[in-house]
Order: sequence, then C-alpha cells, then structure tokens
Amino acid sequence: MLKFLIGFIFLAESIFAVTPVESIQQDIYNARDRVMPALVHIQPVIKDYNTGELEKQAVIGSGVIFHKDGYVVTNYHVAGKAERILCTLSDKEIVPAKFIGGDPLTDIAVIKLDLSKYPGKIKVATFGNSDSVQVGQYVIAMGSPLALSRSISVGVISTKDRYFGSDVRLPSGEHTGRYNLWIQTDAAINPGNSGGPLVDLQGQVIGINSRATLYANNIGFAIPINIVKKVTAIILAKGKVTRSWIGLHCQALQELENYFGTNRNSGVLISSIDPGSPAEKSFLRAGDIILEVDGQPVSARFVEELPKFYSLIADHEPGSEITLKVLRNEQEYTFKVTTKQLGDSQGEDFECKKWGFTVKAITKQMQIDNQLPDTVGAFVVGVKPLSTADNGGLRRADVIVKVNNDDLKNFSDFIDHYDKYSLAKVDKVLLTIKRSGATRYVLLKIDNNKGDTLNEK
Amino acid sequence: MKNKLTRYVAFIIVLLIILAPQYSTAQSFDYDRLYNIIKDYTVIVDVKIEVSFGVHTNEQADRYLGTIVTDDGLVIFNGLTFNGVRALSSFSGFTLKTTPTEIEITTLDGKKYDGEYIGVDRYTQIGFIKIKTENNEKFKPVKFQNVKDFKVGSWVTLYTLLPDFVNPPLAADIGMISTVAKTPEFFPLTVGFNSLQLTSVLFNEALEPVGVLGELNNPSSSSFDTGGLMESSNPSSNMTLLGIVTGDQLEKLIINPPQKGKIDHSWLGITLQALTKDMAQFWHLDIPGGIIVNDVMKNSPADNAGLEVGDIIYKVNGQQVDIDKEEKIPIFQRLISEMEPETSVEFSVLRRKQEGGVDSLTLLATLQKAPMAAMDAPEYENKDLEFKVRNLVFSDYLYYNLDSATFHGVVVSSLTQGGLADIEGLSMGDIIQKINNQPVKNIADVKEIMKKIKESMPKEIIFFVWRNKKTLFINVKTDWN
Repeated sequence: MLKFLIGFIFLAESIFAVTPVESIQQDIYNARDRVMPALVHIQPVIKDYNTGELEKQAVIGSGVIFHKDGYVVTNYHVAGKAERILCTLSDKEIVPAKFIGGDPLTDIAVIKLDLSKYPGKIKVATFGNSDSVQVGQYVIAMGSPLALSRSISVGVISTKDRYFGSDVRLPSGEHTGRYNLWIQTDAAINPGNSGGPLVDLQGQVIGINSRATLYANNIGFAIPINIVKKVTAIILAKGKVTRSWIGLHCQALQELENYFGTNRNSGVLISSIDPGSPAEKSFLRAGDIILEVDGQPVSARFVEELPKFYSLIADHEPGSEITLKVLRNEQEYTFKVTTKQLGDSQGEDFECKKWGFTVKAITKQMQIDNQLPDTVGAFVVGVKPLSTADNGGLRRADVIVKVNNDDLKNFSDFIDHYDKYSLAKVDKVLLTIKRSGATRYVLLKIDNNKGDTLNEK
Repeated sequence: MKNKLTRYVAFIIVLLIILAPQYSTAQSFDYDRLYNIIKDYTVIVDVKIEVSFGVHTNEQADRYLGTIVTDDGLVIFNGLTFNGVRALSSFSGFTLKTTPTEIEITTLDGKKYDGEYIGVDRYTQIGFIKIKTENNEKFKPVKFQNVKDFKVGSWVTLYTLLPDFVNPPLAADIGMISTVAKTPEFFPLTVGFNSLQLTSVLFNEALEPVGVLGELNNPSSSSFDTGGLMESSNPSSNMTLLGIVTGDQLEKLIINPPQKGKIDHSWLGITLQALTKDMAQFWHLDIPGGIIVNDVMKNSPADNAGLEVGDIIYKVNGQQVDIDKEEKIPIFQRLISEMEPETSVEFSVLRRKQEGGVDSLTLLATLQKAPMAAMDAPEYENKDLEFKVRNLVFSDYLYYNLDSATFHGVVVSSLTQGGLADIEGLSMGDIIQKINNQPVKNIADVKEIMKKIKESMPKEIIFFVWRNKKTLFINVKTDWN
C-alpha cells in the first residue's frame, strides 16, 4: 500500500512536471516580484491598559504599500493603538510611519510612511478584485510570520465566504467581522503575518491576512480586498469610517422559512433588537422579516449573506431615514427608521497612575455589552495588583459613578476630578461604583510620598 | 497534607500515651463500654448518587457513617458531597448537581432499611436522611449533651468507618481539644482527626456525646448563597480546621432539619459591604464596624423598613455589629439568614447627611423568606427532546440585570448529551421565552405547550430564546419515534 502510494506521488509529479508546474513556478516568481517590493514589516509600539497601568508593548505586523504617497494598509489590531511605528521596507531600510486612521469593525488601518529621509523609491502594490477569486485558486501570503520578515508562503483559497458572526473581538476589545466575510487559505499564516497581503498569481493583492487558527495547521483568514478598498478610500478621505446604526441582529432564515411562511431567498429575519435602539423605537421586533430596504429586495437565507445586509444598513448616512418593508404574521407592513451614527465600540482610555488603575469612557456599545443603565461614568479596564485601588477593593468592569460627593456627568468629568485630587495630593478619595448593577464604595488611601512623584518630574 | 500531618501528630501522641500512660487520661476510654453505647444508634449509610454537570451525568456509590438522632429514625451523615457544590450553582445555567437515587441504611447488627433523603444544612454540611420503616418502628437515638466548657488538652474520641473490605466496620480514633475558637464563631477545635470522619459523634472523657466532628469554614470562602447576594473574593487560607459542632447547635438542626427545595432561611434584601476602619474614619463615624447598605431591593424587608442606600447598620437587636472587614460579612448574612421568617428585627442605623453629619435611626424590619436559589427552583423535564428547564429566580434577574415585571421565561437547566434539544442547538442557560410563538412564563407553561405539541407531532418546534443578551430563534427538529 505504501509502495503504491509513493509510486502514485511520483507518477503525479511526473505528469505535472512537463508544463503546468513550470508555469506556476514562473507565476509565483512574477507575483513575488510585483508585490514583494511593496511589502512592509511593521513594528508598532502599542498601548495596553489592561493590567491597570499603561504598558507599552512592541508588536510585529505586516503591511503593504498601496499608494504612491507612502500609504500602507495593515490590520487595525496591528497599528490601531500604536503610539509610534517603525517600518522596514523590502530594501531593509527603516522608516518611521504615522497612524492615519483605522476601522476595528473590518480590522483595517492605514499608516503613512515618513519618506523624507528615505533614499530609495517606494513601489506600490495593486489591489485586485476579491469578488472574482475562486476556491482552489493559488495564492501567496507575504509578511513577517513570527517576526521573520520578507517571508512568503503559498497555498490555495480554501473558501471565499467564511462567516464568523458578530461576536468576534479584537485583542483591544472591539467587535469585528460584522460587515465582512473572510477568505480562508491554507497558505501558512502565523502571528506576524497580520496586515500582510494575500496575492494571486497575477501579482494582485486580493486580501489582507488577518487571522490564523490556534491548534490548527494552515487555516488562515484574509479580509477580502474589495472591503479593504472601500474602507481605505474612506479612511484616506475622512480619517475614519462612519456607519449607521439601527440596533438590529439578524439570523439566517434557512431553517425557519417554514415556520415564518416565507419564500426561499426572500427576506432577512430579525432575531434581536438592541434596547433603546432606533429599531426598537420604530416598533420593529424580533421575528419580523425584512423584505425590502428602500425598495430594494433583501434576503439572508444563509449566514454568509448577513454581512452584506448589515452593510446595506450601515452604509446609509447617519441620521437618514430607511424604509423597511416587513413581513409580520404573514402581513406586509412598512416601517420608517431614522438611523443613528454607530458609535465607537470602545471608549477613550485613561491611566490613573497615582491610584493604580486604568479606565475608559463608556460607549453605547459597551453599555449594551455590559448591560449598563447608561453611558455615565468611567469603566475600570484594569487594576494594578497591590495598588491603592486594589487595596481599596476596586475591580475590573466596575463603573465609577461618583468621586467623593460629586456625581460624574461624563468621562472627562472623571478625568478632571482625578487631576484635581491628584494635584491637591489628598490622601483619601471615596469612589462610588456600580458592580453588576449594585452600588459599592471604594476608599482609596493614597500615599503621596511614594516614589512615583519623583519619577514624574 | 495537613490531614497527614495531624494524623502523624495524633499517632505520636498515641505512641506517647502508650509509652507513658501515667501522664495521660486518654487510655481511660473504655471502648467496650463505648461500643455498647453507640451500637443502637450507629448505622452505615450506602448512597447511590447521580452527579450531573451540564450535559454530563455520572453515577457513583458512596458510603457514610450515620447516626440516628430521633426515635422515628432521622439519621445524620456527612453531607458535604451533596452540599459542597452550592458555590458553583448560585447563578449560571451550569449547575453541578448531586441527586441521591438510592439510599440503604444498615444497622450494626445487620438490619437493612431504605432511606429517604431530606437535605443538607448549608453551614455545617450535615446531611439528613429518614429511615423508612413499616409500622412506625422506634429507634434509640443519640442524646447529645449540651457541654459548654471545652478544656484545651482534654481528650475526645470517635468511631471512624473503615473501607468495606474490612470487618468489623468501625475503628476508634482519638484526638484532643487544641483550642476553642471565639471568632468567627464559637468552635472548639481538635487535632487528631481527618475530614473523612466529619459528622462522626464525638465523646468526651466521660463518654458523653458532646457533638459531631465539623469543619470551621473561613467565612470569606464559605459557599452559602442567600439568594445570590454574597460577594467575597478575598483569598482564603486552605488550612482545614476540624472541631466540634456542639450539642445545642445540633439540637436546633434536629428539631428542624433542612429540607431540599424548602426555603427555611430569611433575607433582608440588600447588597452590602463592610464598614472598614478606614471608611468609618473617612466618614467620621465613631463605631468599630458595621454594614454599609449598598442597594435595597424593591418590596424587600429592608425596603419596607425604610433602609436606604448608604445607610450604615451598626446594631442588630441592640447587639453591636462588629464587621470591619469584607471577610466578616458572612457573619452578618448568617445572622439574618438563620432567623425565622416573619421575625421582627431592630436595626440601629446611621444615615449620613448630604451636608455632613449623621442621623441616628432605629428601624424595625420584618424578615421574609429568602428568594429561591436557582438550585432549588422547580424543574420540568421533557423526555422527547431531552431537556430540563427551571423557573427564573430572583438571582437570575439580578445577575442578568433583567426587569422581572417585563421579562419572562424559563432557564434551560439540563440537556442530555446527544439528545434532540442538545443537537439542534439549545444551550445550557438559554432562557426560553416562546415555544412556537406561545409565550412561556414558567415551567407549567412549558409542560402545557409541550403536551399540546406532542398531540400534533410536528416536524419542528421553534424556540425563541434569550442568550448572551440577545434573542434568537432555534429550530429543533423532532423525532417522535
């Protein structure tokens, strides 16, 4: 059996050895030569607030130059929280770069190379069309797996419409993946490949490598380049992507057509509605089936069709009115919903260095995720072990609503209080917090003679 | 490790006693006499239990030393296995459950009886079983002596149950009172015994039954759950402290044994934290400790009594509440919890005024039965789809921050692995709100709806569930054969 197998492999090789393999080899060389010069090894220093203090970490990612002015596309999870960024170009020259804008929901970021002292001339890669890629098509992944720069690996497209749902999170906590499908490839993708290009044999970038799978071999995922083209264009024009939000969550209809009495390939099922959302205010409800959006028929029989529907809603100008034709109890109704702007997933971070914890502003999304009554106060991101805050009993995910006797109006109000009390060197501060809906008091006993006053000029 | 050490110490002590009998009275235990005393009320309890966690269920057989404590056949045994799991079960759908399926009681002279499981006391972990007898057979129960004075250095003895391949089944063991703990509660500690001997009857040098072997729990890690209102995460020491659950404590339990599913403890309806010394100083309060009222549940005894958020309880029925550390909070919780429902309790309260200063108030609260814990909530089992659901309880609403006036449903509490409900996508902890578009408020609704559905034997049943803060529809395809 083994002999037979080996024989078979040899046989296979000898068949293809004649012409196709040679031409594929040549195609790989050609594609390499077209994109490798635009490949960028990215070393951002990112800010991490999760441990209760601001920690800076050097991370490694990849990117590709897509614009003659030195714009590089990479992942949001590589450069989104970067403080400073160094890039190594394909000729091994090191140039600094700055963050231009990013979109956590599609995990895309744009940085700009500072070419003022760069001796060479940059090359620009061209974007292809991810709608026309085919399963089984050869692809080349380029980047810095495990920081090993200028590496390439070859494979095929395993699937072009992989769906992950809306609950995927980036390391910094933002939701991602609601508005795009993923290209799955068996070209080896490892940590460090993030942000690097997935290239076809014509040398066109068809995706941005973003995710790998732990405990698996050769299951990597790239964001389709057509999504990247759309997002980078908006970032270059406006700095960030704004989306409309009406507060819908939908579900594939495939298994439920019979129950709801719908036709095949017709309609999108609303499974859940965010509390306090425009959809709720317009009296939409779970179980409604959206047949048309502004007169355009929509359908999501399979989960893979959901990102397209979500994008259709999100692409409206925030504040605009959407007309939805809805099937409810086998009757058709028309609803008008005025959208709101989809806010940031995560709020601004702040380090309370003298008190030993970090906080962030509470966004609408965080309010929904953590089931908070409102967005007032400061959300505790991390508590430094054995710090003042730790000793006082503060914990991650507590919401600070009051400092001494003052109710906080908003996040900057909290920062003002922190600044005021730390400047005045008071030795005791009472925080009123909410934990899982319950009120608690946390007394901070601050030792103002501790070393950190020296460190801080 | 600790047990080995204490056993080793005990062994050395025993050795010393043998070598130098004139220095000790331990040798004076007359075991022939003692055996005669215990033989009427000592039994061996064989229990088959079903242990389920999530979709997994295992059977196991356990063997305990039991003691008959009433003449109609109430038996106490080490109920740790049945009760030690409460901590895990307070909130989520993932409940670890131990259900006794078969209980057999054997007396020392070989008579066998069936037993009925009654319940386990949440604090002492003492389990209760009732012997089932035909024509009201009477037993000779143990009569615990109400001894208050435990002398450090005095000897105590007990019988330990040997593994079932050894005969005779009982062996004697001795230990010594090592100290008498005053906090967190009165508790004479012993050395020389181990955790396998919990709930064995202890005899003093006069061969009087003075109590049973129990464990002193660190209150901050104690696992009881008065309706899910406990919050304590302080690290606790892992040292096992064994000692004597005394006769008067046992007497209370024996008169009114805990019954599974029956709520026998009270609550006040607040969330709370300790008034630390720092906090007292910060607020300029001249009291050694107290309870800060953090939240008051609507229509709870606390609410009716007029307690407000931020109030500080410093006396209960005139007794100082000396709670200055988070670790001591369970002392207060237990104090309230162990009073009978409908008891009137007087709270002395300090209320801080906005403009500074405090008002001193006395508030009278009438305690109520604590809300049911998830573990005790009634369940309905559907054998066709192989799932169990339970009613929503107070702690569910609190934990998920849901409004009990508008949010209804039942919680999926158990799924058989590979059963239809499991395969088709129901999850543990899902809250079912509708079945085939019919609203579900409690398990009776589910029973009724599922019964009607079964009559028409549809190909699919659509569940509308709440999961992870969102709703979704689940199509469960049926197989009525």
